[in-house]
Amino acid sequence: MSKREVYVIGYGITKFGEHYELNPSSSATQALSKAIQDAKISKDLIQSLYFGSLVSNRNDQSYIGAEASRECNLNIPITKIDVGNASGAGAFHQAFIAIKSGLLDCIAVLGTEKLSDFVNSSTLEKILGGTIDYLWEFEQGATLTSLYAWMTQAHMKEFNTTMEQLASVPVKNHKNGVNNPIAQFRREISLKRFLDAKRISDPIGRFDPATNCDGSAAVVIASKEFVESHSEIEKKVKVVGSAQSSDKISLHHRETLSSLLATQIASKKAYEMAQISSKDISIAEVHDSYPIGEILAIEDLGFFQKGDGGKATIEGKTQLNSDISVNTSGGLKARGDPFGATGIAQIVEIIQQMRREADKRQVDDIKYGLTQNVMGTGASVLVHILSNMEDDK
Amino acid sequence: MEPPKIWRERRGKYLVLGILCQDCKKKSFPITQYCPHCSSENIAELKLAQTGKILHFTRVSQTAEELMFYAPYIIGLVELDDGIKVTGQITDTKLEDLTEGMKVRMVFRTLSKNGEEGLIGYGFKFVLI
Ligand SMILES: [Zn+2]
Repeated sequence: MSKREVYVIGYGITKFGEHYELNPSSSATQALSKAIQDAKISKDLIQSLYFGSLVSNRNDQSYIGAEASRECNLNIPITKIDVGNASGAGAFHQAFIAIKSGLLDCIAVLGTEKLSDFVNSSTLEKILGGTIDYLWEFEQGATLTSLYAWMTQAHMKEFNTTMEQLASVPVKNHKNGVNNPIAQFRREISLKRFLDAKRISDPIGRFDPATNCDGSAAVVIASKEFVESHSEIEKKVKVVGSAQSSDKISLHHRETLSSLLATQIASKKAYEMAQISSKDISIAEVHDSYPIGEILAIEDLGFFQKGDGGKATIEGKTQLNSDISVNTSGGLKARGDPFGATGIAQIVEIIQQMRREADKRQVDDIKYGLTQNVMGTGASVLVHILSNMEDDK
Repeated sequence: MEPPKIWRERRGKYLVLGILCQDCKKKSFPITQYCPHCSSENIAELKLAQTGKILHFTRVSQTAEELMFYAPYIIGLVELDDGIKVTGQITDTKLEDLTEGMKVRMVFRTLSKNGEEGLIGYGFKFVLI
């Protein structure tokens, strides 16, 4: 593998939520221009823009990246990377590869989504239907939520995971989200409120899913050579692992519903690339679009034994400044989930933590941070590892 | 669904056919050109078992417009007697009356309606035996 080192040198993120006043390109431009400003470099040094978005094609204007680049006045290649609702991390992975390859030295990566334009919730359900097996799951009547309900049932049955353990995931994440200025929901929600809520797809309750919203996030990444030759760059965070894996898209084709094989494979590859193990991770941003999502993640990433995720969460082992602080940003649940932007927002949170810009949600003594972004029910998973360690090479 | 897609998928959706690989002898669903187990092209169509048992089920109350006609409905993961697993609605019953492991039988029903004038999508659902 190429020994070239890759750094994130700047980030930008918009407030997540409902922004009826913003058109999709304005939201994307906000994040992109903030990221370029934060990198302190001249925008002319950026050689390429990779962007990820699940539905930008449906906001009338296909290929939103072109519009965003107009406001930044860039004439560089603009490429949309499609990994469904994990397209943000997908775009980051491809940009990482492009720098590793040696062909490019400085790339902007953008994740963006404008979902408040879809006022009819049936439209969004249909869009999400495209992230599961559309023909043999969605058209048969299944939805993303109902499939996550089955995964929840499978974990409860196999490992005696309780409703209280499941609800402790969003309780923690909402608590973290209070201190995240860009989060859509900055308020705590009690365990009782989650447990008492009406079941929409049993055992999933009304308040359990993350909310689909508007938001954009961007980063600028560069090679070590580029960083060394531009003294204006003040802050850098090293990307030490980047991996993607896939699994059968339909749940009815999988061996088990109580783990995500793609998470296991992608994280193994990322740990190998970073030459570390799961024990070295201090903070992680994982795909908690449903409570079971985080429980599966912390097991499949190797933070806890298979089946222990629920117990670990309710015992506080994933809360802020515990052994492994999970979803310090508030996760998808409190931050909101603008699909394509989420994968980049997760990386932004790790960078803010490593640069000690996370204020009241700051975690101390971070060595490595990890992100996990899931497409649909796990047909594709991306894992990224960033390092806060001083260069020893 | 658009007419070309309905036409193309008719054998899977209406006749519930899968494939039996002539090389590795494994069954799979839906019909594919290549065996998903060994990638052989040497495959034969196979009629799936018409009965099975419920592995998972839950309620769906919000979905695409064309599927909202029967909502809320119950969606299930069913293991057919030949070992193939499929996703389908469990109909003519109530959520409270269902438990995992119950035996079901395949029935041919309306799945989707595109408004008053649009095409009607047909396919299989399940009823309790
Ligand atoms: Zn075969």
